[in-house]
Amino acid sequence: MSNSVQIRSLNKSYGKFSVLKDVTLEVPEGSIFGLIGPNGAGKTTLIKAMVGALKINSGEISVLGKDPLKNSWELRRQIGYMPQSPSLYGDLSAKQNISFFGKAQKITNLEKEVDKILEFTELTGRANDPVRNFSGGMQKRVSLACALIHSPRIIFLDEPTAAVDPHLKQRSWELFKELSRKGVTIFVSTHLMDEALLCDKITILRQGQVLAVDTPQNFLARGKTRIRYEKNGQTHELISGSDTSSLAKEMQKIGLDANIAKIEIEQDNIENIVLQIVNRTEG
Amino acid sequence: MKHAFIIGARVISQLKGDKRFLALSLIAPLIIIYLLKILFDAIAPPPIPAIPGMMPMPIPTFSASKFILPVSAFIVHFLSFVLCAILLVQERTRGTLDRMLISGFRKISVISGYTIGYFGLATLQALLVITEAVYLFDFDFPFKTICILFLVIWLLAIVSVMLGIFISTFARHEGHVFPFIPLIILPSVFLTGILVDTDKLPVAADLAGYLFPLRYANNIIVTLQQNEYHFSDLWPNFLILFLYAVGLLFLASSTMKEKE
Repeated sequence: MSNSVQIRSLNKSYGKFSVLKDVTLEVPEGSIFGLIGPNGAGKTTLIKAMVGALKINSGEISVLGKDPLKNSWELRRQIGYMPQSPSLYGDLSAKQNISFFGKAQKITNLEKEVDKILEFTELTGRANDPVRNFSGGMQKRVSLACALIHSPRIIFLDEPTAAVDPHLKQRSWELFKELSRKGVTIFVSTHLMDEALLCDKITILRQGQVLAVDTPQNFLARGKTRIRYEKNGQTHELISGSDTSSLAKEMQKIGLDANIAKIEIEQDNIENIVLQIVNRTEG
Repeated sequence: MKHAFIIGARVISQLKGDKRFLALSLIAPLIIIYLLKILFDAIAPPPIPAIPGMMPMPIPTFSASKFILPVSAFIVHFLSFVLCAILLVQERTRGTLDRMLISGFRKISVISGYTIGYFGLATLQALLVITEAVYLFDFDFPFKTICILFLVIWLLAIVSVMLGIFISTFARHEGHVFPFIPLIILPSVFLTGILVDTDKLPVAADLAGYLFPLRYANNIIVTLQQNEYHFSDLWPNFLILFLYAVGLLFLASSTMKEKE
């Protein structure tokens, strides 16, 4: 599988303040690639660099085989970008917003494409309502539709589900999965750990540095399982890996006898694992 | 060019939809001119009654026309500048400017689109202001003069739009536009011959006045109020105003950043 994005030793600073430090990444084509990190980690800066909206200090970026700074106009026909804020015209309807941003691209039969994207993002029913009357979540959906109108090969989503209700969030991720199945590469930034599990691959960014890149499954495998049991009035704790075979071995050590009154099993979730990685790096 | 018209159409639709903005742009200048009429009527000296057998006394003259047309031009200049700058800064704060550029619109299309969008507003502003001034102050101008007056105020409005676009590139939010008003707009009131003839100003102030587009608009308006004028008296100032607009277009284009 080839890579849609390749970044080598990317550095970006504003004056003396370093925002991205030696970032190296590879995003496989057609995958959902998650960029997770707290606010201020440099996620938006990295995305802006990839869409060609930001000059970098050093390093190399290749998006679909092209330098986004040198070939920005050529690339803009192939990439979609959904900014963190909805960035829409409140006085225009959902349909007019999508159509306006669509006109920047050479799209044959734009009106038909707008209708298709409205249907895909489930906005048909409110297509002609002014966007200013929409909830935050609905505005994000219009923003996504604007980013998708020209059928890009790769789409950059900057915190697309922040401040969105659980139902819309779930529906948004169903849309991302559907796009990925169609072969579109999805690069999504988030600070919500539960979303990381929905990605094919995730990278942890902290203070402008990549701390780890792996699949969610491999990240989970780095976690621990704590088995606490009460025997003869005393609490005991065993620690094993996260996989089920090591858990079984640990359980065999205990031996379930009549004296064991209570068993508690606690597995590290992705949030704990990420925090451990962050703490280890800081330590 | 197609992109510029797409953006221009969007700006026009936004202006049409924003009733308060339209009212401020079109009605405010008319109210100010009406207030000026009241003011000028109040400060005009009363007629001195003729005394039989005596030579008529020299009457102090106060010509409202000397002030009203340049002041009208200034009002259009001020409002066009401020409103255009604020609207473009709003594009930046809302994130739509970045989005336009990333979506494939070029900055020159954005600037041209805004200019196209404001063409209609500038035309309306100029028409309304001149119609009201001519009606309220009983100006007895030939039709040709009124047409040239319209043209100069319209061109000044376009220059103001360009200035607004240029200044907006230095502002991160709407509040940043306001410091430019005392810096750029207010000095033009004092240095361009609206209140005081430029030949009465100190040399340095007179020279500084050449930096402001209002000076050239005022030169044309002053010439138009003379009994006789020739096109050759007007075109150098028209040319400078036009060059001002083109120069500001290029300046705005070079200062607007496509990449941070």
